[in-house]
Parts: sequence; C-alpha cells; structure tokens
Amino acid sequence: MTATPEPMLQVSDLVIEFDTSAGRRRVVDGVSFSVQQGEVLGILGESGSGKTLSTLAVLGLVPGRPGVVGGRIDLVLDDRREALLADLPTVVSTPNRGPVRKDDRRWNRLVQRRWRPLWGRVMTAVFQNPRQSLDPLMTIGAQLDESVRLAEPTLGRLEVRGRSLDWLARVKLHEPARVHASYAHELSGGMCQRAMIAIALARQPRLLIADEPTTGLDTTVRQEIVELFQELLAAERRAMMYISHDIREVLFLAREIIVMRHGRIVEVVAAEDLKAGRGRRHPYTATLLAAADLPVGEVAS
Amino acid sequence: MGRFSRIGLWLSGAIVLVVVLLGVVAPFIPYEPADAVSYDRVLEVPSVSHVLGTDEQGRDIAMRLVKGTEAFFLPGLMAAGIAVLVGALAGAVAGYATGPVRAVIVGALQLLDTLPRLVFIILVCTIRNPSVTLIAFVAGVLFIPTVAAVIRRKVEALGSEDYILAHIAHGFHSVWVILYHILWLQCWPIMVRQAAYVFGYVLFVETGLSYLGDYGVQEPDPSWGNMVAQVRSLPPDAPWPWLVPAAAIVLTISGFLAFGNLAARRGEEAIR
Repeated sequence: MTATPEPMLQVSDLVIEFDTSAGRRRVVDGVSFSVQQGEVLGILGESGSGKTLSTLAVLGLVPGRPGVVGGRIDLVLDDRREALLADLPTVVSTPNRGPVRKDDRRWNRLVQRRWRPLWGRVMTAVFQNPRQSLDPLMTIGAQLDESVRLAEPTLGRLEVRGRSLDWLARVKLHEPARVHASYAHELSGGMCQRAMIAIALARQPRLLIADEPTTGLDTTVRQEIVELFQELLAAERRAMMYISHDIREVLFLAREIIVMRHGRIVEVVAAEDLKAGRGRRHPYTATLLAAADLPVGEVAS
Repeated sequence: MGRFSRIGLWLSGAIVLVVVLLGVVAPFIPYEPADAVSYDRVLEVPSVSHVLGTDEQGRDIAMRLVKGTEAFFLPGLMAAGIAVLVGALAGAVAGYATGPVRAVIVGALQLLDTLPRLVFIILVCTIRNPSVTLIAFVAGVLFIPTVAAVIRRKVEALGSEDYILAHIAHGFHSVWVILYHILWLQCWPIMVRQAAYVFGYVLFVETGLSYLGDYGVQEPDPSWGNMVAQVRSLPPDAPWPWLVPAAAIVLTISGFLAFGNLAARRGEEAIR
C-alpha cells in the first residue's frame, strides 16, 4: 500500500453525552475516524449506535445538551488545517466530582465562529425523511433557486432557474420543469430525496454527509439513489460520509467502512476485504454480514 | 372550510374593505366641523340630500360618519403594526434564542402582560396629553406579549423540524431561516388574526373614550364614539343620530374580528 495522503477530515476521540431523566448518558464514546479527499467513508450501525450523532458532530449540529464534550475535529482545506474543536477546553470544564459542564453560550459562539462559514460551502448534509427536509410551503424550485443563489450570488434570475433545472436533470428527475414548480407533498419520497440531493449539491460542498438517505424509500428507489450518489461523486471527486444500517449500500459506495455499536467503533475495514471475506471479522460485523447473506469469513473470538 | 365560513369571510372582507376605503379617502374630504352646523335643518330624517339625516346641530350624519373614520384608522393601523411586528420578532427571539437575551425578552414580555390594558391606557391618558395616537401606541405595546406568545409557540414547534436543520446545514443564516421560513411562510395567518384583533380593539377603546368624553376625540371633531354620545340629549323619536354610528361600531369591530379569524383559518388550512 502506498503512503496515504493527509485526510481532509479527521475526527479523534469524539465524546458526546446527553442529560436524560436517568442522569448523564454517554452516547458516543471516543470515536475516531477520517475521510480522505474525494473518497467515501461508510458508517454502518444500528439505530442508537451513535453513527448519526458522530456525523452531526462533524457538522456542529448535535441537538440537545450537553452534546459534544470531548475530542478533536480537524479539517484540511487547500492544505490549510483548521481545528474545529480547538476551543473546546475553554467551553467544557471538568469539576472534581460529577459530570463535565459545558458553557452553552461559549459553545454557540464557537459553532458560529468555526462552523457557520463551512455550512453549505464546505460541508452539508442530506438527511433521512426527504419530505420533512423540504420546506412544505415552498416549491422545490424556489428552494433549489435559494441554494444556487447562495452558491453563486452573481447569477441573474434566468441563469439561476437554468442552473436549477440542470441540477434537477442531473439527479435524474424527469420533467425538471414540472418538479421545479411542485411542492414536496406533490412528489414521491424518492423524488423528494433526489431534489434534496440537488439542493445540497448545488451548494457545491467538498464533503457531503448522507445520513440514511434511503430510509423509508422503496427497494428499487433505494438502489437508484445509491447509484446516483456514486455517479455524482465520481464526476466531482467529492468526499462523502455515507451513514446507513444497510450493509449492501455501504459496500457498494464506500472504500473504507467503520462499524459502530453502542457509541463505539467496533471495526474499521476496507470494503474490498469485507466483500472478499478476507481477514478476521468482529462478531457484530459478522452478524450484519450474515443477516445480509454475504460471505462472513473468519470471525474473531 | 364550510360554506358559512366562506360567506362570513366574504361579508367580513367587504366590511373591512369599506372601512379601509373610507379611512384612506376621509382625510382628503374637506370638512370644517364649525361650518357644518346649521340650526335650520336640525334632526332631519334621512333624505336624498342628507342620506343618513342630520343631528341636533343640523350636521350631515353621513359626512360625520365618513370623517369619523379618521379618528381610529391610522391609529388602529399603527397599533396593529407595533403589536404584530414587535410581537413577532420578540416571539421569534423568545422561541429560538438562548441565554440572557432570551431571559431579558421573556421577562419584559411577562411584565407587559401583567398590565390591565384599559386601566393602563386610561392611566397613561391622565399622565400625558391624551390623544388617539397615544392611546393606540399604548394599546399596540400592550398587545406585544399576546402576539409574541403565539409566535413563540410556533417557532419552538418548528425550530426542531428537519427542514429547518437542513437549511442551516446548507449554509442559510439562521436569522433568515426564522424570518422567512418560519415567520413569513408559517406565521402570516397568526399575524393577520392578531392585527385585525388589535385594530378592532383600538376602535373599541377610541369610541369608548370618545363616548365618555374626557380622553377621546372632542366635539366638534367627529368620532363614532362622540356621535353616539348624543343619545344623552336626543329626543326619543329621533334615534338615527346615535343609531347609525352605534351600528357602524358594532359592524366594524365584528367585521374585523371575523375577517381576521376566518382569513387566518383559511390560511392555516392551506398551510397544513
């Protein structure tokens, strides 16, 4: 193997905690991973494994309190390294006893300072529930236009519309003009997700985070969406984090896969090895493979 | 929306339209209250030359009714504007912001909310030089917490919606997302309802105080309130000088309230 280039995103020892009625709960416990420029990292795990929260942490959008309380997130842009969580020690304090405390005001300021300039332009997300991710009171076109205008503020009205229609065609929506004038509730779930992908990509992000983008869609539509992601990424050399509980989708898209369970990473493996059944598998990964009727190979005890 | 509601919307809409037209046109009609007095045509019944008859000083009632809209129209708009604009912004901040900003806004709103409206308006009138503009300003400010409370509930409910999160992640400024996607697209029915209500309230207070005499519009300037006040000295066989403005007050207030409610309901149905 050749020397790996510096990753564009590096997350190390990420810790996320929440206050619940039963006290403090640690939902992400020391997670580390990295995303290479122009490549797809697959994150595999069941609901509640912390995979969604880990990616929301990359976006600086973890909801609830206290949220991110530990770790580092480094972003390398055009050979410039940016430490997103550099100020975390000033935000989080560790008292002698009891759970760590977090200053919400300082945290909000940190998010505004470090992440705001990145949203959309550098990283953005496609969430599950495509229909709920679109404003119910705006046409798809109006939202896509907003996105195009934000990416290229100098465009005129007609150019914006033209660019929007191009995007709708690129995500393989037939009759782009009709979709442009439609509301989310008038389209199928698959069409909404395609529109959502167009809206996210119109911002031209370096890193696209897709959080279970196929959940709730028909099986055939899911396959189409996954293929669409592959096509769009190959053309643009965009990096992506693809979160799913479907091992087949992750195998199809990703080069490297991390498997998460109970807030920890249980295994990091190359998709090639997983497909070929090479090496020893963690028992949990083996269960996932077996459940999807894929060759399991050797299981570590 | 049922048939009755739709008819109600049209009827109340017509009332609102007429009042707005009169309110816009009235300031451009020349009228000198002192010149209108004419003791040779006192208490005439409605006729072709005086459509709604004349009052006990021989003044044309239709004319005074039209000019009387000036007393509440612009003040009513101002009060509705203050209550809805400031209330919506305060509600949005209270629903979205955190920390001391939110605490200060919420505290100020609660403080304002404890003031009894009519009593406070009269109190301000006794301290300052009373005018309808002052009354309307105070009324508008006193309605800020009411508007803010409904807007705040809406902002809190929608703030965690997926599409709001998605817009933030795509790089839209959160202020824009709240002002446009929540306040403008989702809350306009609420704002229409509240604006109509505040306008009706200003009409109610203005005519009420003008009727009582001390703080409202003073004779000889016309107000629907001081027109009704003539009931005290009118002979029982000549009811129209007070009946006409009284009917106008009732129709206008109920028209505005009904219009605000029905238009808002229609909007809310379209939004869902």
